[in-house]
Amino acid sequence: MRRIILAIVSTTAALVFLLTFKTHNVSSVTAPPAAVGTPSASAGGGSGTSSGTGTSSGASPTPSSTPSGGSGASGSGSGISSAKTVTGDAADTIYGPVQVQITVKNGKLTAANATMYPTETPRDAQINAFAIPQLEQETVAAGNANIDAVSGATYTSNGYITSLQSALSKAGI
Amino acid sequence: MWRSGVTTFARGRQAQASPAPGSPAAPARARPAAVLAVIAAGGLAAIALWWTGTPPIHGLGDWLTNAGRLTGLACGYGVVVLVALMARLPPLERGIGADRLARWHAMGGRYIVSLVVVHAVLITWGYAVTAHTNVISQTKTLLVSYPDVLAATFGGLMLVGVGISSARAARRRLRYETWYYLHFYTYLAVALAFSHQFAIGAEFISNLGARIVWGTMYAGVGAAIGWYRFVTPARQAARHQLRVLSVQREGPGVVSIVITGRHLDELRAEAGQFLRWRFLTRGLWWTSLPYSLSAPPRPDRLRITAKQLGGHSHALAALRPGTRVLAEGPYGALTAAARRQRKVLLIAGGVGITPLRALFQAIPAGPGDLGLIYRVSSDSDVVFRRELEQLARQRGAQLWIISGRRADLGGDPLTPAALTTNVPDLAQRDVYLCGPPGMTAAVTQALRAARVPARQIHHESFEF
Repeated sequence: MRRIILAIVSTTAALVFLLTFKTHNVSSVTAPPAAVGTPSASAGGGSGTSSGTGTSSGASPTPSSTPSGGSGASGSGSGISSAKTVTGDAADTIYGPVQVQITVKNGKLTAANATMYPTETPRDAQINAFAIPQLEQETVAAGNANIDAVSGATYTSNGYITSLQSALSKAGI
Repeated sequence: MWRSGVTTFARGRQAQASPAPGSPAAPARARPAAVLAVIAAGGLAAIALWWTGTPPIHGLGDWLTNAGRLTGLACGYGVVVLVALMARLPPLERGIGADRLARWHAMGGRYIVSLVVVHAVLITWGYAVTAHTNVISQTKTLLVSYPDVLAATFGGLMLVGVGISSARAARRRLRYETWYYLHFYTYLAVALAFSHQFAIGAEFISNLGARIVWGTMYAGVGAAIGWYRFVTPARQAARHQLRVLSVQREGPGVVSIVITGRHLDELRAEAGQFLRWRFLTRGLWWTSLPYSLSAPPRPDRLRITAKQLGGHSHALAALRPGTRVLAEGPYGALTAAARRQRKVLLIAGGVGITPLRALFQAIPAGPGDLGLIYRVSSDSDVVFRRELEQLARQRGAQLWIISGRRADLGGDPLTPAALTTNVPDLAQRDVYLCGPPGMTAAVTQALRAARVPARQIHHESFEF
């Protein structure tokens, strides 16, 4: 009996020890590398205490697009009210690239669509099946890139936001 | 001094101890501590594989999933270790001994089987939390849409089944052969579970180097199994052509079998070792029986002695000369090679006299340096009485035969005090101990209490 207890206790202790170390690394980290040069601030990094329930973790990437006179898209707010679609640069995550396409009408973001996201493994597919729609919804609701990352889909969220920012800056909003 | 039922032979005339048979270069022997260190190092390497391949984690889902991955890695590595322990690798068999290897395997087996269940639970739960589904639907998803998980689940269930059948309560009800053949399902379980490691294991999916190393580990142990458990016995059978020479009754329910063959010296068997014998005759051909050599091995003959235990020994007594025999081995660490001191004491309990009878004849020792305590429940259980007495006279060795139950003798005759009284220089001797597990445990305790250092106590207990 003693051996059984010893085995259980030492296995649990070893697991907790190893996992705690991995968690501590997170507290001061910045988000994973993104291809486009927009730094996304500690999205997901500071959320070491997220409870993993259905709510998104708090994160607010700083919008970085410099106001530019028409970067790659037609004029700003002149009378033409046709909707245009802009695709942001693909952002790399360790599971694969994420790319976002937005629809802008009258200078307002009316739709967002992730055209590319990781689906290589069944796990990626399963996670992104709920993460992507949520991100797209939030994008339209917020109208900009100030959206929360989806808990449990940190890397996809970061890649999405990065690509979204690129699309927004290309669209000039 | 030990009282009734004791026969004591003081040293008689000067006699030369029979010289040990000339042995060629000593075969490799693994040290138990070294083997455990290697096993631990491998385990740490597996953990390092997880460490380097895992991004920072946060959240309950990540915690559960990664705990599941760690336990999964431990299982994938652990089963390889368990199988390797039983691969009959000669350095392990000579250096650690079959009984200790079996005990390690049993302990590790219980741990790994439990860990497999924990791994499955943690992964399912972790995936469910991360994907915001409930555990039931996550289980269905895992079984149906993740590659190779269904096969791995069958493998896991098989392992659990084998584990249950190996529990003490179950083994009491099962015949040895039934349990033995059930145990082979572990090979199938490992085969079924292997592919899911590479198909969905996070550490292996995108790491070719890890897959190569891991696969090599599995392949290596598989090759060892094939070589040492199948090819080598077949080669030995062809080389040695063992046959039963004669069968002789030693006493009630005890029979000695002399086996002859060719080039037996190539077996490199040593006194104190045993082999696993398969007698190719009706009723015995499908079972492999471990019996010790009861006399030092000769280049042309081997003698084993078996006690009547269940159906087999009846069949053994009925063996006809000329019956072909297959033998695996030799195995066992209870040999003269384990010895460190000049003086030796052999302690045999019941059927444990078999290997010690061989050592009594062959272990190098001068007059007065060798003793044998033979503990039996009753006089009729004594075997080899004349041979032992003769050897004691020839070698100037001491022989005590203590027969009788404890109740009749007024207590346990092998107490620390009794041992040191009768064998004053006990703490300076190497003690070889062989008998039923209860007896060896009790005597080991008594020896330790009598201040015999643990490294001078060598024992083997027949519990396979």
